[in-house]
Amino acid sequence: MIPFRITFRAGLSLFEQIVYAATRAMVSGQLRPGDPFPSVRALSKELKINPNTAHKIVAHLVSEGLLETRPGIGTVVAVLPDSSRKDRTQLLEHEIEELVVEAKRLGIDQTEILAAISAHWQRLGGDEPTSANHFANRPHDGGSKQ
Amino acid sequence: MNEPTIRTQNLTKHFGRTVALTGVDLTVSAGAIYALVGANGAGKTTLIKLLMNILRPTAGSSAVLGIDSHRLTGSAFQSIGYVSENQELPEGMTVGGLLNYFRPFYPTWDRELEAQLVQQFDLPLQRKLKNLSRGMKMKASFASSLAYRPALILLDEPFSGLDPLVRDELIEGLIERAPETTIFLSSHDLAEIESFSSHVGYLEQGRLLFSEEMSVLSDRFREVTVTLANPAPLPANLPPTWLLAQSADCVLRFVHNHFDEQATPSEIHALVPTARDISFDPMSLRAIFLAIAKTHRDSANENSAQEKVA
Repeated sequence: MIPFRITFRAGLSLFEQIVYAATRAMVSGQLRPGDPFPSVRALSKELKINPNTAHKIVAHLVSEGLLETRPGIGTVVAVLPDSSRKDRTQLLEHEIEELVVEAKRLGIDQTEILAAISAHWQRLGGDEPTSANHFANRPHDGGSKQ
Repeated sequence: MNEPTIRTQNLTKHFGRTVALTGVDLTVSAGAIYALVGANGAGKTTLIKLLMNILRPTAGSSAVLGIDSHRLTGSAFQSIGYVSENQELPEGMTVGGLLNYFRPFYPTWDRELEAQLVQQFDLPLQRKLKNLSRGMKMKASFASSLAYRPALILLDEPFSGLDPLVRDELIEGLIERAPETTIFLSSHDLAEIESFSSHVGYLEQGRLLFSEEMSVLSDRFREVTVTLANPAPLPANLPPTWLLAQSADCVLRFVHNHFDEQATPSEIHALVPTARDISFDPMSLRAIFLAIAKTHRDSANENSAQEKVA
């Protein structure tokens, strides 16, 4: 089984969609450092994608420092590196611009949009310190199981 | 090992006065999952039948696994798995009987893989083929063509008319074989092949409009929107890499088929000095296919118009 949720949307690159879904699972704490990540073979088979695409996805996540390969074990979720935080913020520039454009178009003001952002922030794993071991120190927010 | 698994040169087939295929040059390298896409009647089945030596070409040639198609005989077919939507199966046989029947023909038949496929596809060994659903028959066909680990798997419209569940099972079976084989399949539906294919070719009215690695294709196509400082008509003499150019007031839009992050913006500024803003949007495979097909039709119409004038 693939440890993150993905619903494919037509017309978007599979590579980007899967990288996004995996990254989302990692930043939201659904996947934690040390958790096993599916092999290229499993990813390809489960998601019905070309093995080369699956390979590129894993290679990309490894090069981004989100996954690490452990000999004898396989690929596991890495501790998020603190360096290049600025680079990562830059990666979001386009999305932030889009969000601001949409907000202005819909007549949502700055306070409202910031409130909406922080609501989502909370939902995906609460307030986070800016320290390096972002994930490692996180208490298990297992949610309220009924 | 650099010998392509499939190669055709100027492959052409006429049926009487009907041109089914014309001048097809195609190369499929080992290890690819190659999808040949095209509308019904585009010539996909004809191409596959020519590869398989079921039909003779009118002109040109093709080779499969390094052997000229017209010399393909018994022993070569032991390394090719062929499944067609129109294949006739011995309907009176049971699924188990079918497998027993095929097994001795193939020295590389793998009993373990056979058992795995039977289980994976949930095949009812005791039931007769004539009593099976279309999907189940297709799965039986797949099992009998994959069990001998062929070096090339040729599939003619393998998923058409199947429910999504069966389609998923078949794709999974194919993906499992992918590391050790070359897969060539035809389909009239882009959506059903785009997730797992590595290469794609597009056949329209017997012509191969392009044949390319999937990722290269999506990297080189962009929808370009140029905002101009003041309203202006389309510049004259557009480069051939600008497809389907249109303009309205201050906006110029086209599809670039050789996008390059560095070169394209300067190319645009040189041709459209009043450009105020340029945006490049990645395109879905479907949008790319449409752009290519429309461009092809436009130029075909233009040519025939010119012929009339001349």
